[in-house]
Order: sequence, then C-alpha cells, then structure tokens
Amino acid sequence: MTITNTYNRDLPATDNVAGTVLSLKNIVKTFGKFVALDNVSFDLKHGEVHALLGENGAGKSTLMNVVCGLYTADSGTILHYDKPILIKSPNDAHNLGVGMVHQHYKLVKPFTALENIQLENGTGPYKASLDRLNAKAVEVSERIGFTVGLHTPVGQLSISEQQRVEILKVLTADAKIIILDEPTAVLTDSESDNLFTAMRSLAASGCSVVFVTHKLREALTFADRITVMRNGITVDTVLPKNMDANVLANLIVGESVVESPKRSKVVTTPKIMIDRLSMADINGVQVISDLSFNVSSGEIYGIAGVGGNGQNELVSILSGLLRADVGTIELDGYGNIEAAKPIELRNYGVACIHSDRASHGLANDLNVDENFAISGVLAGEFGKLVVQRRRARAAAAQAIQDFDVRGVRSQGQKAGLLSGGNAQKLVIAREFSRLPKIVVAHSPCRGLDVRASSAVHEHLLAARDRGGAVILISEDLDEVMLMSDRIGVMSRGSIIAEFEVPADRNKIGKAMAGNA
Amino acid sequence: MSKRNQALVICGGLGIGLLVSAVTLMFVGISAPDLLNEFIFSIFTSSRSINAVLALAAPLTIVGLSAAIGFKARFWNIGIEGQVIFGAIGATLIATYDVGPEQFRIYLMASMAMLFGMAWMILPLFLSVKLRVNEIISTLLLNYVAFNFLLHLLYGPWKDPETFFPNSKIYEKSERLNNVMGLEINVSVVIALVFVVLMTWLLSLSRFGYILKFVYANSKMAKSIGIKVVLMVSIAALISGALSGLAGFTISAGIDSRLTQGFFIGYGFLGILIGFLARNNPILVVIFALMMAILMVAGQSLQVFYQIPFAMIQLIQAIIVICVAASEFFIQHRINIIK
Amino acid sequence: MDFLVNWISIVPQFAVPFALATLGLIICEKSGVLNLGAEGFMLMGAMAGVGATILTGGPYFGLLIAAIAAGFLSLIFAFLVIVMRVNQVISGLTMVFLAQGLTTLVSTQMEWTNKSFVGIGGLNFGLLADIPIIGRFIFGHDIIVYSTILIFAATVYIFDQTEIGLRIKAVGENPEAADSAGVSVLYHRFLAVVVGCMLVGLAGGYLSVVVSKIWVDGMSGGRGWITIALVIFARWRFWTAMLGAVLFGCVEALIPRVAAIGLQVPQYFVLMLPYLATLAVMIWASLGKNSSGAPAALGKAFVREERS
Repeated sequence: MTITNTYNRDLPATDNVAGTVLSLKNIVKTFGKFVALDNVSFDLKHGEVHALLGENGAGKSTLMNVVCGLYTADSGTILHYDKPILIKSPNDAHNLGVGMVHQHYKLVKPFTALENIQLENGTGPYKASLDRLNAKAVEVSERIGFTVGLHTPVGQLSISEQQRVEILKVLTADAKIIILDEPTAVLTDSESDNLFTAMRSLAASGCSVVFVTHKLREALTFADRITVMRNGITVDTVLPKNMDANVLANLIVGESVVESPKRSKVVTTPKIMIDRLSMADINGVQVISDLSFNVSSGEIYGIAGVGGNGQNELVSILSGLLRADVGTIELDGYGNIEAAKPIELRNYGVACIHSDRASHGLANDLNVDENFAISGVLAGEFGKLVVQRRRARAAAAQAIQDFDVRGVRSQGQKAGLLSGGNAQKLVIAREFSRLPKIVVAHSPCRGLDVRASSAVHEHLLAARDRGGAVILISEDLDEVMLMSDRIGVMSRGSIIAEFEVPADRNKIGKAMAGNA
Repeated sequence: MSKRNQALVICGGLGIGLLVSAVTLMFVGISAPDLLNEFIFSIFTSSRSINAVLALAAPLTIVGLSAAIGFKARFWNIGIEGQVIFGAIGATLIATYDVGPEQFRIYLMASMAMLFGMAWMILPLFLSVKLRVNEIISTLLLNYVAFNFLLHLLYGPWKDPETFFPNSKIYEKSERLNNVMGLEINVSVVIALVFVVLMTWLLSLSRFGYILKFVYANSKMAKSIGIKVVLMVSIAALISGALSGLAGFTISAGIDSRLTQGFFIGYGFLGILIGFLARNNPILVVIFALMMAILMVAGQSLQVFYQIPFAMIQLIQAIIVICVAASEFFIQHRINIIK
Repeated sequence: MDFLVNWISIVPQFAVPFALATLGLIICEKSGVLNLGAEGFMLMGAMAGVGATILTGGPYFGLLIAAIAAGFLSLIFAFLVIVMRVNQVISGLTMVFLAQGLTTLVSTQMEWTNKSFVGIGGLNFGLLADIPIIGRFIFGHDIIVYSTILIFAATVYIFDQTEIGLRIKAVGENPEAADSAGVSVLYHRFLAVVVGCMLVGLAGGYLSVVVSKIWVDGMSGGRGWITIALVIFARWRFWTAMLGAVLFGCVEALIPRVAAIGLQVPQYFVLMLPYLATLAVMIWASLGKNSSGAPAALGKAFVREERS
C-alpha cells in the first residue's frame, strides 16, 4: 500500500519513555449477559500516540468509556503512573487529566464554542471563568495550529470545526491523556493529516494520545504502537514499523476475510437519470445544488464524499421523503419520479437502505417477523382487511433463513435485540426480497463488522448482477473504491467529479477536499 | 421482561396504590372494617350497587377505548370531554326535534352522537397534521369552548320548557337506553362490550391495526416504507372522537335521560387514565373502567354516609395512577447494584 | 375613551398570574421537563394561599405559602418524571387531577371555601396615580405587579449571565452532553421544576389572595392550560412571555366589559373568548417556518446510556 500524505513524522516519536501513564489490567465489563470486555489489558506510555484498532463491536469504545468514567468496570485494576486508582465518574476521569473526544460530539448546539467549553471546564465566578477560558482557548489554538470561531453557535459550525471545539474542551481542561474516538469518520484525508499533526505535537509536549479506529491504514500511518482488539479481548500490541497490512487485518478479524473488487460484466442503458436537482433547507441554505448523475442497469455507482455534503438530503429525495425544489429524476419506463411518494417508489421497484437503521430501517420494539412482513402487509399480500398472520410469519421465517439473519431465538423476538449486522440483514431481507430494480444504499455497512459488511456487499452485487442500478453512498472511501463500477464525488450538494474505475485514490481525495 | 412478570409488577403498583388510598381514607376517619364493607361487600352484594357500577362502567369503558385508540397513533386526545359533550348534544338534537320514526330514533341518536364527536375532532386534527399545532392543547381548549356552548344551549334555546331548569326536556321512552330485556342491566353495557370487541378486532387482527403498530413504534420508518402516516393518524383520531361522542350519548340517554349541565365532568381525565393504565389494550380498559366505576359508586356512598367529599375519590384515583405509573419503571429498567 | 382607560388600567392585575405562571413553566421546561400540570400547581397555590391567609390573617404570608405548597406538590411530579421516568404528559395530567381532588378535599374539610377576607391592596403613589390616562395603568397596582417585573429581570439575568443558568439550559438542550461534562441532570432538573412550579403556585396564590380575595373549587378556571399555550407562543423566551401575558390580561379584562358596553354577544360565547384567543395564538405561533424554540430535549426522559 502506498500512502502519500503530508503527515509530519519528523517530530520525535517517544518510545523510550518516561513512564507508563495509564495501565489497565484484566478489565471486565458486562451488560446483562453480554460480555463487552473480557479481561482486557491495555497500557499507554507517556508521550506516545497509541492506536486502539479493531472492527465495530470489538469493545474499543467501551474500554475508553471506562477510562473516561462513563462506564464502571465490573472488575480489574487501573494504574496511573503505577498507582492504583478508581474511576467511578466523569469527574474522577477529569481529575486524572483524561479528556475524550467522542465519536458523537457532545455539544450543546445553541451554545457558542466558548459556552460549551465553559460548561465542561468552568470554575469560579462566571464572567471571570469565561474570560479565562477564552484566553486559554486562543492560546491552545495557536499552539496546535487550529482555528475555530469561539462565539458562533456550535450548531452552525461544520463537522470538522465542531470536532475542534471538542478538542479545545479537552485541552483547556489541561488534559494529559487525550482519547479520540473514531476521529476521522467525518474528515477528508487532508483534514485527518492536520488533526494527527496536531496530535503529534501534543504528544511531543508531554501529553499521551489514544485514538480509537477501525481503519487499518490510519493506525499504521499515525501511531507509535497499535493495540488490536477483537470481540472484547485484546489480541496483541504491535509496532507499526514491523507490521504488514494483511497480517494486521488477520489480527483484527481472526481470519482472512478479503474482499476484492468484482466489476460488473454487463452494463446497459441508463436506468435512472438524476438531472439538476436543487433543494434548499428550512433556513434557505442550498443543501442540494444542481446535482446530476446517471446510473445504468447492471452498474454500481458509488458516491464518495465526507458526510454533511448533502448525502442525507439526496437519499431523502431519492426515497420520496423530501421534495426537491428544482430538477427531475427520470426512471426508465416511468418518467419523472421526483414527486413520487414512498409507496409509489416501492411499486416502481426502488429500494432504499437508509444510513440510520434505528430511525428508518426497523421498528425496534416490534417483532422480527413483523418488521419483515410489513411491506407485504402494506401491499395487501397477506389479506386486505384481516392479516393472515400464519402466512406472514412463514414468509418471514423463510426470508430470515434465505438472508442468513442470525440471532433470532424465537418468532416473537423484538427487532431491537438483533446485532447490527443481523439487523441490517433483516432490512435487506425486507427490501431485496421484492427484487428491486433500483437500490439506494446509504452507508449500509456503518457499524457492522467485516463479516456482516461482506454479506451486505454480496447482496448489493447480486442486485446489480440481476440488472439493477445500484447507488451506493458512503463516507468510507475504501468501500466506495471496492464496490463501485463508477465513482462520483459529492461536495457541497453536487457531484463535482466523476471517475472511471480503477480510480486513483489521491485524485479522489483531492476532489473531496477540493471545494474548500 | 416476560408478560407475566409485567402483569405482576403492575398489580404490585396497583396494590400499593390501593393501600395508600386505604390509609388516606382511614386518616380521614373511616375505620378499616367500614372500608372493606363499603368498597367490597356492599358493592358486590346489593344488586342496585352492581347496576350502578355497570351503568357507570359502560361510558367509562367507551372513553377509555377512545383514549386508547388515540394513544395507539400517538395522538393525545385530551378533548374527550368536549367530544362527549357534543355527542350528547347531537343525540339531544334528534330527541328534542323528534327526528325520524320512533323505532329508529335511538339508533339515529347514537349515530348522530358519533358524528358530532368526530366533527369536534376535525379542527384539532387538521391543526395537528397541517400546522403541527400540539393536539394536547388544542383538544383541551376546545373542551372549554364545548362546555360554554352547552351552557348556552341549556340556558337558552334548549332550556326545559316545563321546569325552566338548565337542562333539556326529558327524553321520551323511545329515546332512552333502557334495560336489556328481562335483566336489570342497561343496554349501554351491551354497547360498551360490542365496541370492546370491535376495537380488539381492529387493533389485533385487522390490517389497519398491524400497520398502526408501525406508526406508533417508529413513524419515520413507517413513512420510509410507504405507510401513509397522516391518514392512519387521522383515522385513529376520528375514531377516537366518535367513541367519545358515543359515550356522551350513553350517559345522557342511559343514565340521565336528558341533557344536563354536568354529565360529562371527569370523563375526560378518567378516560385518559383508564387508557393509560390499560396500556391501550381494549380488554384491560374494561377492567380498569370497572375498577374506576366501583371507586365512584363507593365514593358516592362515602359521601352520603360518612360526609367524605367526592373529591376524595378523585384523589384516590390520582394516587392509584401515580403508583401504577411509577411501577412501570421496574418493567423498563433493571436496577444494578454497583459494588 | 373612558372604557379604554378603565380597561387598560386593570390589565396588569389580570396579566400577573399569566406572567408568573408562564415564567415558571418556561424555567421548568428549559431544563427539558414538559409540564402539563400547570393548572394543578396553580390550584394548589390558590388554595394554600387562601388557607394560609385565613389561618394567619397575613396575605403576604399567604402568598409565600402558596409558592411553597406548589413547590412541595411539584416534588411528586419531579420524582415521577425525572427519577421514575414516567411519561411526562400523563404525569402532568395526573398532577392536575390530583390537585383538583386534594384542593377540593382540604378546602372543604377546613371550611375555607367561599370565605372572603382582606387581601392586598394597591400601593399608594399619591398624586402620580392621578395622571390622566396612564396614571392608573402605571401607578395603581399592588406590590406584586411591580415585583413581577423584577422577577422577570432576575430570571433573564440568571439564565444569560450565570453558571447555573447555563447548566439548566444545557440540561434541557442536550442532557447527554451536560452529563458528560459532569453536570448533574437530576439536580438541575429538580431545581428548575421546583422553582418553576413555585412561581406557578405564586400565580395561583395571587389569583385567590389578591384578585378575587376568595377561594372556590376550580378557581384557576383553565388559566393553567392557557399558560401552557403561552409558553409555546413565547417560544420559550422570557420577555415574549411577558408580552403574551399582557395580551391575555387584556382579553380577560375585556370579558366583563363587553356586556357593559352593550355589545349584544350571547354571554357564553363571550366566555369562550380566552380559549379561542389561545387557539388563535397557537395557530399563529405555528405558522412561522422557523424552529419553535423549544429546548431540544423537552419531554424526553434522560437515561445515561448503558449500551449505545
């Protein structure tokens, strides 16, 4: 793998070390019957940048939540510079100098950045505290090369700016142990570089940094040491310079699951043509701006781009939940479907997998078979007035088998109890059993482990090979590059560049960062 | 948590509620044996008490159903009282102007009651669906408007021409709900049971009910799959209004035999509380309606024999709801003791 | 002209209960707790205020007790919704039911109903009150009216310029963020609920002790519900709430005067006026395309997530 970026590795990596800042031994954490952490051990050395690597569900975030006091471990010891300590609450963690930048930012949107910092770190008389934190935030920003407006409501800032506010919260509290949870999920490659350069300089000045990630490449590039976790256990701690990417991948998954690109064999005429869509949101901001692209039958069109560039809105328009202000969506044989309602789109053969399973995919409190059968019930397939429940249950049972949805212990089981991967398979079972001709998949593998992701990809490929047109929108550039027959880059509400496959990752990365 | 354990927890809450209520009553001066007598023995032994309980339980059941179907669509119908009022007004309209042939008049009254109740729901429904005006407040405000309209009618055009009291002229025999042939039970009880069966069918067996479950569980997902959420909520809300209107009819035609000033008082809250306690299950609605009816009949005799104001019963009802609601906490959450 | 002057000079007295109650509700809801029990807390305050005044002969003391009594009642409400996480709509409605029963019961047992007493009179500003047109409007009122303005100012200051105001707002907008920052969601919600309900109780006390100088069952007459609508109208902003309160003070002050000027409106339709006005206000408030101004976490119970 060639990785070219501007990450500054010249600052000394400290591996002969002043001491072990934090040492976790035999940490156990269970939630009911589920064992999230099974005798996990982890240590962090002074001045290092340490990657905690593993796929979704491995327990990385859980471990870090124990360190920052949001969860209490059931058993195990924690040492701080070799002194045993207890972390029972966020305040304890605070006092220890632990600061965590969460994956889902904990910011109060109507407050300014300064007010958010005050909420986290304020002490003493209010006005004096505000002034003090203001000065400190400015000083820290300059030190690490950040800029962020301290007096605008945080809700109006971009995602990477919001992340900077989170980091300021941590640094103005004089955190010495900084934890970043999946920090680059919503950043472009160059923004990631900037972030890690800043982290490197922090480490050089005496802090210790842990970053949690599922991205192999990131760990290899930016970390001094990598600890791999899998299914709630620590597998190994390794040095990146000795590591091969494939060996590392093996450690993460425990087996070889390698996905390789399977390009389409037959591409025919354009099936769906999106032409010059534009849409403004409630506040008048153009979220979709003159967006156009075509997808043909038997083709997967991947849309790459960092989140927040209109992807959510595009999916809502394509699935009939929102109307565009201007523009058309031509579906071969049906004309302009831009104004069609969700039920009409389903009848035309459009299937949608939303990024937020819990919101749009499943009703967690209802049964697994109800969640499957509802589309049939809606269409009247199980009776017009009364529902023939036995038939519906049988159809659901068949589909659960066909689509390998596991973890269904009884027919009455609630959908919310399924694991992420199986829940997604259930959604796919429901949507794909109608053999859709158009598939819109938005981040379909978010939160899924490698095996489940691979299964989802199989289904997308099958839909394509049946002659369907698949639109895959994902923030994971690796996924887009693996799956797509053609790639479009989305930025600021429009497709700004298209690439034929095989594509140059750097060019795509540049395009993604391009319109800055 | 299994259904059986859930039921146990609710019963536990109920038990505590009843206990606290009993203690409160003893505080006010009623001895324990007297309590048992009033609340348990006399109710079940005197046939007049049983009839009073059933007659009261019928409209309570219907308003409970009304609240329940509203809640099943996440539509908070707090306007039950207003719809009850208009239902009775609709029925009285038919009765006062002697509309239609005598043998059908009672059916006409019932239908008009349901229609009027439904009509009083249209404005809040429209406001909620089109303008996102919170239905809790809008239905509630309309209660007060309905009440004032009722007073206007009773002190004005519909004042009893013979007694000059502010209630309507008494219904003729064909316009009343009488007892079931041979038995001492009012027809309104039968009406209530019929609708319990209808609602059970609607919610558990019909396609409408199946789809409604998704509207309740996750309306975003429902919309995504193509369910016409607005239509479903509207139908549920209108049915709710119609049921409340029907309840108004059963009160005025079954108990009072005329339209009076205060017939509707308390049914709104009680309907909501019954619907909530029953967790929107029609069969449980009957059980809690009976319970509330027993409390109210017992309360009436407490008032007569022990001079305890009727407000005491309201207090007891509130205490019971609070205890049951609090006990739900133990169903939703597990307490882990952190060592 | 006289009509107008008479009407306007009595508006503040009618506006104060709405103002205090709306302020209290906004404080409560800023922390994320939806409070539909306003009518109940108002009743509680009204009854307790009368009871205390009759027992001690001191109307100011009566007002204090009104606030405290409502505060105590609100502890039940707060416990239900914050600790037990019971549905906030049902809990609020049950509080109203509870208060109706409780107040009727206590006032009947203690024989406070329909007993009139000396309340609080207007402050004497001497000649200032004789200024034509606006004299009585500005200078003719009791001390509570003027205190209300002070209370509003104090609340605005607390929410904009102090740590505790920041924390209460945080808890109402994003309790997860506040919790993560070490701010106690439980404590701040309890605080906001109790203080808010005390103000609602004070509003009720003002109604019975100062305005009517009597207690009857169901004294608050639906004003609690109107207050809930006023909060929405005010978009949870304090001074806008004051405006709404004055508006409704005008409407209420108008009712007895409609007959006086000979307008031929049937009596009961006039009585519908406040409720129809409230409905109109709610519709108007919903027509704006922008966000409602409600705290983001309003109505949702907070659970520190154990498994995301």
